[in-house]
Amino acid sequence: MNCKIRLTVNGTARAVEIPTYRTLLDCLRYDLGLTGSKEGCGVGVCGACTVLLDGKMISSCIALAVSANGHEVTTVEGLAGDERLHPVQQAFIDAGGFQCGICTPGQVVSAKALLDAIPNPTDAEIREWMLGNLCRCTGYYKIIESIRAAAERSRA
Amino acid sequence: MNAFEYAAPRTLDEALAVLREHGDEARVIAGGTALVTMMRQRLLNPGHLVSLREISGLDRIDAANGDLRIGALVTHRNVETSPLVQEWIPVLAETFRRVASVRVRHMATVGGALAHADPNQDPPVTLIALGACVEIRGAGGGRALPVAEFFRDYYESALQPGEVVTSVVVPRLPAASGAAYVKFLPRTADDYATVAVAATVSLEPDGERCRSARIALGSVGVTPIRARAAERLLAGQLFGAELLRAAGEAVEAAVDPLSDHRGSAAYKREMAAVMVGRALTQAWDAARVSARGTR
Amino acid sequence: MAHRIIGKPIGRVDGIEKVSGAACYSGDVSVPGLIWGKALRSPLPHARIARIDVTRARALPGVLAVLTAKDLPRILVGRRMFDMPLLARDRVRFIGEKVAVVAAADPDVAEEATTLIDVEYEDLPAVIDPEAAIAAGSPVVHDNPGAYDGAPAERPHPNVQSVLRFKLGDVEAGFREAARTFEHTFRTQLAHQGYLEPHAGVVTIDEDGRVQVWASNKMPFRLKELLSHALQLPQEKIRVNLTPIGGDFGGKGSLMDLPLAYHLVRVTGRPVKMVMRYAEELMAGNPRHPSVITLRTGVSRDGTIVARSVRALFNSGAYAAFKPAPSVSLGGASMGAGVYRIPNLLIEAFCVYTNNIPCGHARSPGEPQMVFAEESHMDMIAGELSLDPAEFRRRNLLRDGDHLANGHHLEHVRASDTLEAALKASDYSQPKPGPWIGRGMAMTHRHIGVGFTNAVVRLETDGRVTLRIALPDTGTGAHLVLRQVVAEVLGVAVDDVAIDLATTDDFATDSGVGGSRVTHTGGRAAYHAAEKLKAQIQAEAAKLGVPAEALAEIARAAAREGRTLEVSHFYDAKAHGAVTSFTAQVAEVAVDPQTGQVTVRRFTTTHDVGTVINPIGHQGQIEGGLIQGLGFALMEEIKTEEGRISTLSLGDVKLPTIQDIPPLTTVILEDPVGPGPFNAKAIGEGSISAVAPAIANAVADACGARIRDLPISAEKVYFALKQKEGRR
Repeated sequence: MNCKIRLTVNGTARAVEIPTYRTLLDCLRYDLGLTGSKEGCGVGVCGACTVLLDGKMISSCIALAVSANGHEVTTVEGLAGDERLHPVQQAFIDAGGFQCGICTPGQVVSAKALLDAIPNPTDAEIREWMLGNLCRCTGYYKIIESIRAAAERSRA
Repeated sequence: MNAFEYAAPRTLDEALAVLREHGDEARVIAGGTALVTMMRQRLLNPGHLVSLREISGLDRIDAANGDLRIGALVTHRNVETSPLVQEWIPVLAETFRRVASVRVRHMATVGGALAHADPNQDPPVTLIALGACVEIRGAGGGRALPVAEFFRDYYESALQPGEVVTSVVVPRLPAASGAAYVKFLPRTADDYATVAVAATVSLEPDGERCRSARIALGSVGVTPIRARAAERLLAGQLFGAELLRAAGEAVEAAVDPLSDHRGSAAYKREMAAVMVGRALTQAWDAARVSARGTR
Repeated sequence: MAHRIIGKPIGRVDGIEKVSGAACYSGDVSVPGLIWGKALRSPLPHARIARIDVTRARALPGVLAVLTAKDLPRILVGRRMFDMPLLARDRVRFIGEKVAVVAAADPDVAEEATTLIDVEYEDLPAVIDPEAAIAAGSPVVHDNPGAYDGAPAERPHPNVQSVLRFKLGDVEAGFREAARTFEHTFRTQLAHQGYLEPHAGVVTIDEDGRVQVWASNKMPFRLKELLSHALQLPQEKIRVNLTPIGGDFGGKGSLMDLPLAYHLVRVTGRPVKMVMRYAEELMAGNPRHPSVITLRTGVSRDGTIVARSVRALFNSGAYAAFKPAPSVSLGGASMGAGVYRIPNLLIEAFCVYTNNIPCGHARSPGEPQMVFAEESHMDMIAGELSLDPAEFRRRNLLRDGDHLANGHHLEHVRASDTLEAALKASDYSQPKPGPWIGRGMAMTHRHIGVGFTNAVVRLETDGRVTLRIALPDTGTGAHLVLRQVVAEVLGVAVDDVAIDLATTDDFATDSGVGGSRVTHTGGRAAYHAAEKLKAQIQAEAAKLGVPAEALAEIARAAAREGRTLEVSHFYDAKAHGAVTSFTAQVAEVAVDPQTGQVTVRRFTTTHDVGTVINPIGHQGQIEGGLIQGLGFALMEEIKTEEGRISTLSLGDVKLPTIQDIPPLTTVILEDPVGPGPFNAKAIGEGSISAVAPAIANAVADACGARIRDLPISAEKVYFALKQKEGRR
């Protein structure tokens, strides 16, 4: 059964017609051409599919696209806004917070949401917020450093 | 996933009508974390999904006669961060905070978690220890059920076909009381509990002796359970190692855990006793502080 | 020696694509008309296929093709030993083996169609346990494995894929000399590499009839060769287009679903994408081999090792196809000798057929398994000898001029320095801060990988430099390392060196990524090409009468004469050199005696390395490998019962999270003696293998419980403690 949905993606109004069973992730990737968000585990655990729905992190691989009808979605492609890179993205480059990069879109989306909510997070707050973003390459140390650096930079 | 019809009615009555019309073929969806995962794994194949998202009034946390009423669509994250919950029933906020990760808590709802009836979840354990009640609406009207009676079997709740959880009412702790939630996580930090215990302890006017206690456990069987035999041992007693040991023994006899990836039944049984001791110790400490405050 | 760029902590500017979501992995590739392929997999561990009926599947609206084995040529595939059919033909040998494949424009439709394929199976007796598999009279997984291409000759039992041996001296004589002998057996679990990008591939046939492939595969040239064989097409008909890979860790070197995607393309005339769901990865990826390892060591009165025999059983599952080494075994078996001088040694490693998931290579293949066993064994012996584990190791460490189990002669051996640095940095000898706290150590070493790489370096007319290579980006930061090498040689900024990623059309060959070889082989190829270009530039500069730094001018002058200043170099590192890299690690743990829960309070890792080209990337490799080792030690397991994998979600695998990492101290001993450019060595696989035994040894130190099978769960420690109490 197909249905039409309207949603705002990265600030732009989009309209698509999709089957009801289309996940938000698949809709972003295949119907809207935004392949930045990735499917990793497919069960909402690893965080590679993290997008912001009305500013809040969600797992788009277990969200139905229809449930985003009328809402605002921010993906990794929309983080930078008019800038080239969001400070969080730049910090991940400078501090080595990524390696293979497959988890990185989810990491930076989540980190941006963290710094929006808590501009000056402690390490404990970083670890709590980012618990749902798995990484197999870095061992997380440089992810924490990257987020700390982004927070410091934003304060400067 | 297979094809399905999707409805997002504006009122609860409309939602109930769709459920009644399609019977077994229809499922309610709120946050969708459990439901969509199961549908993607082809464990469930409903022909109709009824979303509750557009129904107003189900996402509120309100004071109600000194109790808290938490709407079914309230997310875990909202319970965790609610100033009202943090002030009135902090152990409830702390419990919701232990669920998975912030991201999952943004999506998963209170009502959805209850209806899912997974015995490894955190919130039901504390809700049982607090004596909370589930409010249910069906085509025939509304009813309420203590959370302790809401779970029937493995992934099976007391919801009849066509019924929906609308809210849960959580009483505040009485004066001179303390509560604690202990989640035993020996593997990774984002896991379900190997064993979980929620305990509330209310003290006599002397501020030391236990007047009553409630102990609930999760991940120890096909449903969360209340350890009534252990509770009875505590009434009238002073805190002490021997009392905790006896309570632990009573709990071991009361639980019937399943062996799974998180531990064997034998291990979970013994850990239930250990965690009960820890939860009671924390709850008793909190009760003493509360008792001193009210004197 | 001070370098301008080598050794500088330069951030990966190529990361802009990664952090912005622009990087296009294989699963992101889209071509017009793309359709999706999905596989049906066997639910039984061992069965005859009596009948397959695809009528209902074909009839589902939207289904474009359904293929079974009878629609495909009788081809067997593999990386070295070719024993695996494209689709199970008349027999399935593990739960998860592909039986049929469907194509549809909508991936959900393709998946639904697989549930409509009716297969009739007749159960066959299955063998699950590797010991049982090599006992007399056990069910046989392959009737005649010796007949397969690439099958090793030695086969003491039809269920043995390979036997790998390492021998030094005379082990029987050595044991006769020994004052005391100790024997212990250890077990390690089935574990997945845990890359977050499941296998993905896109195949299409272009207007010229060439097969275009995008795949999450880190050896594109070998992939092309294997595809040529599997598809029965000449290699020139195939082009592998490189894409970044979302994590490899040894697991992305096989054909996986690509041949099936090709056949779906052939039959439907449409490009086909196939992406494994994570449940499929866990059921039919190529995970790390589970092991049962017995070590027997004889020591003399003064605590020196005089003899060691090791028997390792690797549960290889239903096919040998995923193993790439010529031995069809796991090179890590040689670590049965540890980092020690052992004059009389016999290591025998058996890779065994069972009706389980076929296993492959994982970071440091065979080593985390063998080093866990061997370094735990060392501590247990030290305990029996009443020697401090550090002292027992000191008496036996390798020295300059010694030989490894595989016969390699060693120079610049810094085993002792590495050990002492770890002990110092970890406060090993200091009093413990409290009860139930313990410290444990372990050591390993990892050779520098060998292989061959082509590189081309070109000077552009704007004075910048292009490095053309066909080494995929698996995330290690290798591309930046190569750019740093070229920049250092040519005297330019790193930002002025760009990577131009080639396809398999552009070079003859490359051994690809893996085995800790890329800094060495890729780095040397880039280095020599850059050196040759530098010489050319200097000659041109002299001719023109301009300084050699006037790169743009020199390039433009050549361009005016119709010449491009471009040089290629093919580097082939044939043999392992005489250097290796040692790692020493110390874990400090706390054990909760009421629950058995193990908390790693701090972890120290010490590495004897060559020149470090990029400290950020180098440290990233150490940290990443170490946390994988932590997961292997404490949390991760793919559980199976009777061949059925019950861990079918990544959430159940228990990869470490950001809250599970311990405070970490890293000590680097830099020694410019490596074979890589600027005397670099390797680091990619150095930090993973010693973590589990360091933790196991620390747990034993903390509470006396010796856990001999991984992962070290709280439950195992708890019951081990209870048992000890019971004995008192």
